[in-house]
Amino acid sequence: MGNIAIRTVNLGKLFYLNQKKRGKLRETLEEKIRLSLKHLFTALSPDAKKNEKKHPFANKHIWALKNVSFEVKHGEAVGILGHNGAGKSVLLKILSQVTKPTEGYAEIHGRVGAMLEVGTGFHPELTGRENIYLSGAILGMTRREIKTKFDEIVEFSEIGDLLDMPIKYYSSGMQGRLAFAVAVHLEPEILLIDEVLAIEDISFKEKCLSKLKEIVREGRTVLFVSHNMDSLKTLCNRAILLERGKIVFDGDIKKAISKYLSGNPDAKL
Amino acid sequence: MVSKLNTPGQRYMYRIRNLPLTLIHPPKGLAPLELGKLWRYRDLLYLFVWRDIKVRYKQTFVGTAWALLQPLIACLVLTLFFGKLARISSGEVPYPIFAYTALVPWTYFVNALTHSSNSLIFNSTIITRVYFPRLIIPISAVATGLLDFAIALLILFGLMVFYGIIPTPALLTLPFFMLMSLATALGFGLWLAVLNVEYRDIKFILPFLTQIWLFATPVAYPSNLVPEKWRIIYGLNPMAGVVDGFRWAILGTNPPHIPLLIASITVVTILLIGGLFFFRYKEDTFADVV
Ligand SMILES: Nc1ncnc2c1ncn2[C@@H]1O[C@H](COP(=O)(O)OP(=O)(O)O)[C@@H](O)[C@H]1O
Ligand SMILES: [Mg+2]
Repeated sequence: MGNIAIRTVNLGKLFYLNQKKRGKLRETLEEKIRLSLKHLFTALSPDAKKNEKKHPFANKHIWALKNVSFEVKHGEAVGILGHNGAGKSVLLKILSQVTKPTEGYAEIHGRVGAMLEVGTGFHPELTGRENIYLSGAILGMTRREIKTKFDEIVEFSEIGDLLDMPIKYYSSGMQGRLAFAVAVHLEPEILLIDEVLAIEDISFKEKCLSKLKEIVREGRTVLFVSHNMDSLKTLCNRAILLERGKIVFDGDIKKAISKYLSGNPDAKL
Repeated sequence: MVSKLNTPGQRYMYRIRNLPLTLIHPPKGLAPLELGKLWRYRDLLYLFVWRDIKVRYKQTFVGTAWALLQPLIACLVLTLFFGKLARISSGEVPYPIFAYTALVPWTYFVNALTHSSNSLIFNSTIITRVYFPRLIIPISAVATGLLDFAIALLILFGLMVFYGIIPTPALLTLPFFMLMSLATALGFGLWLAVLNVEYRDIKFILPFLTQIWLFATPVAYPSNLVPEKWRIIYGLNPMAGVVDGFRWAILGTNPPHIPLLIASITVVTILLIGGLFFFRYKEDTFADVV
């Protein structure tokens, strides 16, 4: 069985670009009728064969991930690097089961906690206290777990007296602190973290970083997406570099970073 | 074994050796319902219900009052137009309680249907960031309405006392018809919630739909106004069976027309089971599309 925490084999994810477009039932029906009329006419027209292949949405798809294979051992902290649109978030979403892969598979040995964006599940009308319970439960903590960690979370967030105020009255920095405080107290042995260190408050950022370091030192497994090279360097020894959905480098963090920085950041599809 | 786990290191190794294995693979065909998994996530279900109730009572400071007023105002309007002006016969019972009895399950149904139909969109940020069985969302939406349902029911019992209506043994069937209205709301809600993710105008169509639906349901008039031979077709609207049953359970008059009731129960069952499978079939795409 070894001590593998995560293994992915030829993971791939295909998106159809029109998929995201929010349609309307009426428009879709109209479109369907129009298209089928059109198809009828083209099918009846003499050069029907020539037109046959031109499906309206053909080619409008993108492999957000393709042939992604790697292994992560228990206790490893691995950075995921890549420019915007490289597929980092999609990878973490697949590993946390938010979305399914189109091909390939992955094995996860252990429970997964995911911080795909801080503040998940927060509701502006509810108080800080209520939101700690809500967000904690949504992120996978049991009520008992939250209860035992409650004071720690409040202290970490530094929100003090505002605990029983609706969070719509919090500043965005304060909401961020509370959200991070909840997320960082997740128990699971595997943590997936997506760009949560985009915090403006410098002293709080230091605190978060040292908390993350502590998590790594505890021997938990962490996959860490960040655009902050300094924090990546302090947290991870290894990084995986993604480019347009493919792994282009997997190894030493310093090499990965220099390779990442030498790539043209404006390179888009 | 457990007694040997003294140091943190030992405990950690023990945990690692006993870790659950999760396999992640592409969706394949019709997914099993996994009702057992829903049970494991019941804490989250409870929490969603708690959140929705809490938020609603905070936002509208007439929160509770609204739950009381909604069916009462509707009752007033129906009594005025159908009871007094159109002189619809409500049989042996006074028209107001005749109408209110039907409005209790009807109001619940409309609210639960609307909430569950919009539930996936309202919770889209959570859906795109956290994994949990998505069925929790529409189920919690229909469960949230049960509080209003209970309040409306209490008022109904008050009205029964006021009008001197003595319960008959038929009252024992009330839980069944309550469950049936929940099943109807969830049955339709599951389909509409999924369609709503792809077609955002469902949200705007729904109010018109429920308006028309009201007239196809024996709320303002008794179902025996419908000719006998048409009643089985009339029963294809499951709310017809629910409202008829509800009225019988509370008022003890006119037992439900059996073919009508059977038609309603059949439709609800098919709709609900079909809806559950349809939802599970589409579930994997929600995070990508919503
Ligand atoms: N729900 C979606 N529908 C369509 N395309 C998507 C969706 N989510 C991500 N993509 C596409 O997949 C690619 C990878 O996205 P993402 O993983 O978010 O990149 P990043 O590395 O910046 O996190 C991008 O081209 C993006 O447009
Ligand atoms: Mg991203």
